[in-house]
Amino acid sequence: MSLVLTRIDNRLIHGQVLESWVPSLKANCIVVANDKVAGSTMQKLLMEASVPKGIRVIIGMVDDIQAILSSEDLVNARILLLFATSSDALSAFRQGVSYERLNLGNMHAGAGKVQCSCTIALDPDDVENLNALERNGVTIASQCVPSDKAVSWHKMVKLTKR
Amino acid sequence: MNLPALTLIRSFFRMFLLQGSWNFERMQNLGVIYIVGPALKRLYQGDDLREAYQRHIGYFNTHPFMAAPVFGAILCLEEKRVAGHDVSFSVEDFKSMIMAPYAAIGDALFWGGVRPLAACTALFFAVKGSLLAPFVMLGCFNIPHLLMRFWGFIQGYSRGVSVVELVQRRRLPDLAIRCKEGTLILLGGLCAYLVFVTCGRHGVEAGWGLLALPIIYIYIWLSRKGLSTLFLTLMTFILVMTLFQVIA
Amino acid sequence: MTIAECLLAALVAILCGLDRVAVGQVMISRPIVAAPLTGFVLGEPLIGLQIGMLVELLWLGRLPVGASIPPDDTQASVGGTFLAVYVSRSLLCPEPVAIAFSLILALPLGKFGQLFDHMVRRANNVLGRRAERFLLAGELNSVERSHLAGVGNFAVASLCTFTVIAVAGALLSDALAPLFAPYLEPTGSWLYLALPLIGASMLVANINISRSLTLFSASFASALLILWLL
Repeated sequence: MSLVLTRIDNRLIHGQVLESWVPSLKANCIVVANDKVAGSTMQKLLMEASVPKGIRVIIGMVDDIQAILSSEDLVNARILLLFATSSDALSAFRQGVSYERLNLGNMHAGAGKVQCSCTIALDPDDVENLNALERNGVTIASQCVPSDKAVSWHKMVKLTKR
Repeated sequence: MNLPALTLIRSFFRMFLLQGSWNFERMQNLGVIYIVGPALKRLYQGDDLREAYQRHIGYFNTHPFMAAPVFGAILCLEEKRVAGHDVSFSVEDFKSMIMAPYAAIGDALFWGGVRPLAACTALFFAVKGSLLAPFVMLGCFNIPHLLMRFWGFIQGYSRGVSVVELVQRRRLPDLAIRCKEGTLILLGGLCAYLVFVTCGRHGVEAGWGLLALPIIYIYIWLSRKGLSTLFLTLMTFILVMTLFQVIA
Repeated sequence: MTIAECLLAALVAILCGLDRVAVGQVMISRPIVAAPLTGFVLGEPLIGLQIGMLVELLWLGRLPVGASIPPDDTQASVGGTFLAVYVSRSLLCPEPVAIAFSLILALPLGKFGQLFDHMVRRANNVLGRRAERFLLAGELNSVERSHLAGVGNFAVASLCTFTVIAVAGALLSDALAPLFAPYLEPTGSWLYLALPLIGASMLVANINISRSLTLFSASFASALLILWLL
């Protein structure tokens, strides 16, 4: 198994992932770690239906992701792993999903969140989670699509403090 | 209570303005309000009306054409809600569930599939110097586009949430792949014709035109290395200009 | 350029610019439509057609997905056509040179389009918050009006991008066109070939089709060889 991209994106599978990341990284399998989607049959079906055949989609609970990723039949897969929130990303990491880089795609604005860049809004919990990941050696940067520039998340947080 | 036809028609035409106030915080949310507004005003009064507006002002973003079945279904759900029917999904859940998958389908099909296909077809006319080219582009693109809007809106309104299954059965993502394959073949032909004509104009044997392929490979490689289109274009301009200075 | 012509071109810039995101998406914003339309109002539809053809392919592979903003090929082609007509008329350049030269200016200046687009979408954040206040106050019609104000913002952004390309481009071309012309002239139509080929490569490089390169190459080679044999 090779993990070509680990990304936090509250929209999970959508145009940016399918039309730009998948072709540019030549990924052939998308793993979605999200309890809500995995728990709803309808949402699962919808999400799977938005992906063309030829790309595998696996949707699982965050707690099951490590088991899914280490399964036999994903040995040759090039995997794109998606989380919806920073806490999911952290808890998967703690359960042994090891990734070195974390891409921040869309983290949507909401109550208590501070807009750090056009597509990223963070609250104190997010900052704490990301800090914890970074202490474990994960490089975190924000980048919507491959043709955009990757921006280190520290830069974004600094921008908002100023 | 059924919505009057005039209100539905108003909502339909307002869909063309869905992205009018696209913003980074909530994306198309005001567009949603603008589209469902006339219908909500028919269905609710007073505080209920304000509550209904409140329900729709949240974050929303999907593909503008695939929004048609979504809005059809939203109007249907609101109607049922007022009539006191038991709805299996709340409007908010339905919206949040459907927006990302439909965005993915629409981006792939219309932006990734139909648009390049229509453009490549139109480019053949443009290369021929025919002023029909813009009309070919508009025609090829807008027939599927408007069909999606009409068909989607009507189906969404009449079927409600189950419109999802209908769209799913069409396997639109696979259709998108086919459009893209068609685009690649047309594009190959178009490039070949351009190379052929340019060679002919300069008295070069057309067989040499095959050399364009390795050049294209180099560009593909450079693009995958992360160089931007604009940078490559300007570099090429400079390179070609200096090359011809050296030759001359 | 008469004032009427400038105003007409600006009007086209706004109409086509709105089609990009805010209104309709019926594709009058694509270069292959926008550029000939600009050319038409300026009385030179064929110059527009040429520009449209050259720009169309360039960013065809960049999709307007979610919050990522692709380069503004609409204003680059409207502005590019405007400049090409300006250069060929007032500086008396031959037409092919004028077209190539105005693209050298319009494509990089089109970058401003991304900047303005970004600014509009941030400005629209304010509209969203204002709409929420209207909603709390129960002024429902004002909520809908805030949405339409967004369309106005997008129109202003299109106009700004066009103005930057047209004004900066015209000023630069007065100074640079005589310098560039002798270099551009001998390149003949080879330069024209380069743009579509680059555009095609970008599309092939970024399309999510397995064996995209094989499909493209096979189609290219067979078409070229058939043309050669005929």
